[in-house]
Amino acid sequence: MQLNVNGKQHEVDVEETMPLLWVLRDELAITGPKFGCGIAMCGACTVHINGMPARSCSIPVGQVSGQVTTIEGLGTPYAMHVVQAAWVEHQVAQCGYCQPGQIMSAAALLQVNPNPDDEAIDRALSANLCRCGTYPRIRAAVKTAAAKIRESNL
Amino acid sequence: MKSILCVLLLCCSVIFAAQAQETNEAALKTWDKIYHVFSHPRCANCHVPDDNLPRWSGPSYAKTSVHGMNITGGQSRIGVETIMCSTCHAQSNADEPHGPPGAPIWMLAPVDMLWWQQSSSQICQQIKDPNRNGGRTLDEVAHHILEDELVHWGWAPGIGREPAPYSAEETADFVTLWAKAGAPCPQ
Ligand code: FES
Ligand code: FES
Repeated sequence: MQLNVNGKQHEVDVEETMPLLWVLRDELAITGPKFGCGIAMCGACTVHINGMPARSCSIPVGQVSGQVTTIEGLGTPYAMHVVQAAWVEHQVAQCGYCQPGQIMSAAALLQVNPNPDDEAIDRALSANLCRCGTYPRIRAAVKTAAAKIRESNL
Repeated sequence: MKSILCVLLLCCSVIFAAQAQETNEAALKTWDKIYHVFSHPRCANCHVPDDNLPRWSGPSYAKTSVHGMNITGGQSRIGVETIMCSTCHAQSNADEPHGPPGAPIWMLAPVDMLWWQQSSSQICQQIKDPNRNGGRTLDEVAHHILEDELVHWGWAPGIGREPAPYSAEETADFVTLWAKAGAPCPQ
């Protein structure tokens, strides 16, 4: 089966029912997306499929068509995505485990709403759990990233 | 002669009236079955009002609540304003216990098609009203039940969830039968 991840085409020999997260981590060694719950309850495994957020633990790889983007493909340490840069600015991460999922969800939100208020942020990101409780910093970083996006759109 | 004719006419109209009442009662019983399906949690949980909040209710849940994780379907009814339903709901049911259910399309029903906590009479009036049923005749409603993949999910909701009663085919037949009998609604 062919799978395009972060702009690179991969050939993978797996069952169609295997969750995308398993394929990414165990077959392709792309370990940015994390395993938390395996049932779409925590958001740690969030990736984008054709720019839309998806819980990779709950999407069978056979249902994936198009481009998969993981945190590794969103930006790099040398060319960070605006959301990643805001995360660094606010020093959001504590242990960091949930953060790839948080960032992928936040980036997806800002694509549809570049000026989210607290309610929109809470609605969009409440399904991304953080055991370290970094929520206030996440909110602040989303607002900083949103402001940067709006500036660059001027 | 005249009086014999009158008596005959009277008898006929009494028989017709009795038959009509019988048909009406049978049709109302058929409607009851349709209501049993439409008001079942597998259907009503997503036929929600303009708060756009999917519900978690029924025997699969300890208590009735709105969808966890602060989820809203938004005005789009597919969550596009904040987080798409399809973020978690794939094209098929997860086979893990408590995993997300899925179907080829996952969305709230249009806001006009309100079934959540509605009476039998209210749902009956709605389903007959083309302004609130997606512009459908009752034949088209029956067809929709037979064809729509998300509707079908109600009878195949995945592990840990009680399916809607009857089947898609039976429910479509009930609608056809009820429509043929004049589609009466309970008071
Ligand atoms: S691991 Fe996918 S949502 Fe928790
Ligand atoms: S930073 Fe530790 S779980 Fe979120």
